[in-house]
Amino acid sequence: MNELVEKIGQCVERGKVNKSSPYPNDMKGMDGADEFTRQALEAAVGPDAILQVCNEGMQRIGARFSRNEVFVPELLMAAKAMHAVMVHLEPFFKTGSIRAKGKFVLGTVAGDLHDIGKNLVRMVIEGNGWEVIDLGVDVKPAKFLEAIKNTPGCVVGLSALLTTTMVGMSKTVQEIKAQFPATNVIVGGAPLTMEAALKMGADGYSPDPQGAVAFLDKVSVANITQ
Amino acid sequence: MEIEIPQIEREKDTFEVRMSFRDLSVSKNEVIRSLGYPDGTLPVHFEKMIDDILARLSKHCKIQAGYRLLEAKKQEDRNDGLFVGGTFFKLQKIVTSQFRKAEKAALFVCTIGPSMETWAKKLSVEGDVALSYLVDTVASVTVEQATDVLHDHIEKQMDMRGLKITNRYSPGYCDWLVSEQHLLFSFLPVNFCGITLTESAFMVPIKSVSGIIGVGKAVKRVDYTCDICGMKDCTYRAFRIAKAEHSKYKS
Repeated sequence: MNELVEKIGQCVERGKVNKSSPYPNDMKGMDGADEFTRQALEAAVGPDAILQVCNEGMQRIGARFSRNEVFVPELLMAAKAMHAVMVHLEPFFKTGSIRAKGKFVLGTVAGDLHDIGKNLVRMVIEGNGWEVIDLGVDVKPAKFLEAIKNTPGCVVGLSALLTTTMVGMSKTVQEIKAQFPATNVIVGGAPLTMEAALKMGADGYSPDPQGAVAFLDKVSVANITQ
Repeated sequence: MEIEIPQIEREKDTFEVRMSFRDLSVSKNEVIRSLGYPDGTLPVHFEKMIDDILARLSKHCKIQAGYRLLEAKKQEDRNDGLFVGGTFFKLQKIVTSQFRKAEKAALFVCTIGPSMETWAKKLSVEGDVALSYLVDTVASVTVEQATDVLHDHIEKQMDMRGLKITNRYSPGYCDWLVSEQHLLFSFLPVNFCGITLTESAFMVPIKSVSGIIGVGKAVKRVDYTCDICGMKDCTYRAFRIAKAEHSKYKS
């Protein structure tokens, strides 16, 4: 049974979605995350054990990404394999038998239509066990505020790719902090730096998805210990 | 024999360059390097995906390009910009030093149209995120190459007038504020080459490039000096490193 669970983690790390997926080349024709998860659940493996091994698989591929051993396409394939597992685990989330680490409200700020970076962050964060509420692109401050109101205890992530939209990002952070001072906000995107993030009042900044995961995990632990 | 790309003068000193997909030669190696992979390390699966995208690329590209020539003048006593068409463009030293001897400036735009971004979005919505990302990357490489062709075209046109050109620079790069995009577009006809600008200086279609090229008898087109720019996370730096490595590989 342990072997089955380990295989799920390996499939997530390698981005092997299902048997018909030709990726990766050396696993062609083999079962993938989809089949192994079904088999594991049929063998009465607990969904929490499956989720745990998937998160570990995502952490391994994320660490390799940070070391430039793999690149964005591999990370996206891993996230896709993770999604195949999550389809099977969704009923357990609904019944509450397993829970996400927390809720993350994410969006690209008003005036900015870039979504690739934001989508990458979403998939990696989901893969690391968080529920993500993706508000999309060109998100006005009011929409963020409404989502925070409807998602108590959430962490918020703002993305911007243009220096012009950083102004809007700053305004959004300030409005969030004015109405929900306890809400943690992390920002990311090409024109940003930690200095700019702190200046606009954000709690964190990350240039990559792994940094966002590390921030969320840190915030999550802090909330639990409070 | 090299075929001349035709251009038509839409308004005085404003030209539409009739470039087609056949004028480009989008290299797979350039796509691979812009993804970050060192030579020979791209997984076979992704290489096949890139081959498939490149095979369909021509159907998804509607290239439109053009430029406007304006008088340019840099004031001797200041390095923070230059006057183009009588209006001051605020530029950093990296750019203005290249324009020191410019007599004119070509304000240009180039796009491959919206089809590649629509394709990438559709794939993303369908859950094929890796393929979507590769389509987007191929599109970025393609529009950059189309702009290379436009740049070369402008060089040939100016050469016929006995003039030389500089490197090209775009708002948002080399410390040139992206908000100056509005100023640049104010000199171009409305909807020039099918490109519009949002309030936040975002070009639509997304896969578009705009910028400025210096023109004059004593200016030079030289290697880009990315090492003196503080912008480390820059698409152009990545492209230029990829291109330099590709040239080494070819030679």
